[in-house]
Amino acid sequence: MESPRDRKYFARKKVCRFCTESLEMNYKNIDTLSRNITDRKKIVPKRNSGLCARCQRQLATEIKRARFMALLPYTVLH
Amino acid sequence: MAVKPRYYETLYIIRPDIKEEDLAKIEQRLHDALAAHEGEIIRFDKWAQRELAYEIQDYNRGTYYIIIFKSLPGAVAELERHLRFYNTDVLRFMTVSITEAAANKEKAAQESKAAEESSAPEPAAPAEAAPAEAAPTEAAPAEAAPAEAAPAETTPEAAPEPEQETKAESEPATAEPTEGGAN
Repeated sequence: MESPRDRKYFARKKVCRFCTESLEMNYKNIDTLSRNITDRKKIVPKRNSGLCARCQRQLATEIKRARFMALLPYTVLH
Repeated sequence: MAVKPRYYETLYIIRPDIKEEDLAKIEQRLHDALAAHEGEIIRFDKWAQRELAYEIQDYNRGTYYIIIFKSLPGAVAELERHLRFYNTDVLRFMTVSITEAAANKEKAAQESKAAEESSAPEPAAPAEAAPAEAAPTEAAPAEAAPAEAAPAETTPEAAPEPEQETKAESEPATAEPTEGGAN
């Protein structure tokens, strides 16, 4: 069996953190959300966050809600 | 078909330098608005006083209040109308619909909190929530480790990704227990 390391590029196995850990995704849960924004306060894209499509969509919604309520910044330029 | 009542959650921000009486007036008015529409209040209290992520109407701090209620959809518009009426004191508000399960969880939390309240008022609730929360979050990093370790291993072989930095930065917070239980 070829181990993933022998291949030139290997598809890293992404496991959706929210699905596996059954983390509560909520706009009031700022600690969880802030782990999924970049240092420029952008939402981390799916290719980097490794979330499944459903979780990523919901995460984006919750982050946007948190932004509206001034719990998270929209940008670093405020 | 009759319209069914639904569960909603409203979060609003009050300016920090509000007078006690104005605050009471707003709360009373919101209570009345919901009562008039046969809304059932599950939770109505102060959620947090915190720094705003950005300035709103020249304020950098705000007090967050949360209302969780069950009502017909029409009551939401009415509630928001009242919040809008106080737009100098209410910096921002948002209503989201929540699931029945979430509402019931909240209801149970409120009831247990009410029971505790006689012995220890406010600080008891966050302290109680923390140990319960700690168990799942401690177990979690172990599960998450393979997934999170993988990107780091790849770095020497795979083409360098500019986004790698941001990912690394966002990770150290992973082990911290969330505040979710306290909400």
